[in-house]
Amino acid sequence: MRPLTDDETKVLFEKLTKYIGRNIVHLIDRPDEPYCFRLQKDRVYYVSESIMRKATSVGRHNLISLGTCFGKFTKTGKFRMHITALPLLAQYAKYKVWVKPNGEMPFLYGNHIVKAHIGRVTEDTPEHQGVVIFNMADVPLGFGVSARSTVDMRKVDPTGIVVFHQSDNGEYLREEDALF
Amino acid sequence: MDVSGILQEHKDRFRSVQVDKLVPVDFDLGHLASFDINLLDPGKLKASQKTRDAYLKEISRDGAQLMINELFSLPTVVDDDSVYAQLPKPQTTLPREKPLPKEKAETRWEKFAKIKGIQTRKHSRMVFDEESGEYKPRFGYKSAKNEEMNQWAIPVPDNADPYEDQYAKLRTEKKERVAKNDRRRQRNAEEAMATERGMKPHEMRKSQLQRALVMSKGSTASLGKFDTKLTGEPKIKGVKRKFDPLVGSADKEKSKNMDILNRVNKGEAKASLLNVRKAQRALGTNKQVQAEMNTKGKKQTKRSRK
Repeated sequence: MRPLTDDETKVLFEKLTKYIGRNIVHLIDRPDEPYCFRLQKDRVYYVSESIMRKATSVGRHNLISLGTCFGKFTKTGKFRMHITALPLLAQYAKYKVWVKPNGEMPFLYGNHIVKAHIGRVTEDTPEHQGVVIFNMADVPLGFGVSARSTVDMRKVDPTGIVVFHQSDNGEYLREEDALF
Repeated sequence: MDVSGILQEHKDRFRSVQVDKLVPVDFDLGHLASFDINLLDPGKLKASQKTRDAYLKEISRDGAQLMINELFSLPTVVDDDSVYAQLPKPQTTLPREKPLPKEKAETRWEKFAKIKGIQTRKHSRMVFDEESGEYKPRFGYKSAKNEEMNQWAIPVPDNADPYEDQYAKLRTEKKERVAKNDRRRQRNAEEAMATERGMKPHEMRKSQLQRALVMSKGSTASLGKFDTKLTGEPKIKGVKRKFDPLVGSADKEKSKNMDILNRVNKGEAKASLLNVRKAQRALGTNKQVQAEMNTKGKKQTKRSRK
């Protein structure tokens, strides 16, 4: 376990801004308790200071997970978000997409979202913007990237892809081994 | 018929070529320049932009007029189609545009010749060759020395092996001489580079050799791990990764993260100033709409014609 280097922090923040914009400030500067980012086996964990201090007594090989896993660094140095970061992303998301009940299952099985399944979209969402997916009861389901801007979504036919799938709650089952 | 009125009117349209100045103006006709050292009117200079510009324009016009008057007093050359004034030599020395070229480093021979006081003499290029009875170049192409190799027969020296190819011998000797000269040239260049960097030539050669050694040692499949060590082999120290302490001050970490975030946000803001793709599409749709309008208009006119 170690803190992130400057470069790693930059890559992480660049990725996070795609979903929550400047709201990262609320992750760094929390009123309740100091939180920090820690790297363990290429995975980035968002963890409270006190828990991190306790975890220092666990050896590197024995430490499996701590706090919230945000994602992992690939071997080429890019950052990949994991579904475990969803609660925090959903809390601070700038752009949201709500899917109708008939679209929930297809998305949770790892498919892209087609226009027919969309219930509501944040206005003036740009193209290729990170978005968080909710169902109509406001339960976060996952996140993805908008394939079209809000204006262009109207022109797409019902079977056209509107949001590219990146991660969904189904991964808790499908990728159980690799997730934490 | 009296045309004096018309002539006067024509004359009045142009300014007089006579310009009066308190201090006479200096000229450097070689550069087509005039230097006016008369005092400027501070009141006009501080006035509004318009009057100031007009004032300065007036002064420069006068200067140009005086210079042109002067040009007409120069001796002229008449060509087929025009008359040219002969400009005198420029008086003002202008600064050099490019910096002075760097002094070339001395070669080993030049240093030696300086110490020994050897001076180069001018030789004529052609030398009289007694064998052929004509002048031949001292060296190089078609010189007497080079022609030796092209002779139809070469006498074998007394003590030489009779089966030795004398032609091949001459050729290899020549090649060796050329190679030696090239090595010397390279050495001179290296030494010049070393002195330019403020190092001693042998020091630089040593460091280069060490670098080459390190490179070649690391060029095996095991990155030189199992190679036998040479005596006096330089130890290579790699760069050690350094991380922040795992448990440090939380405030410090927070402020560092904030700094990085600000930098990231700045980059984002710059990138999002203009969404190029969006702008292109907006332009495209506008053009489409316009094109549709145009075609509609044409159709309508066609219909109306029918």
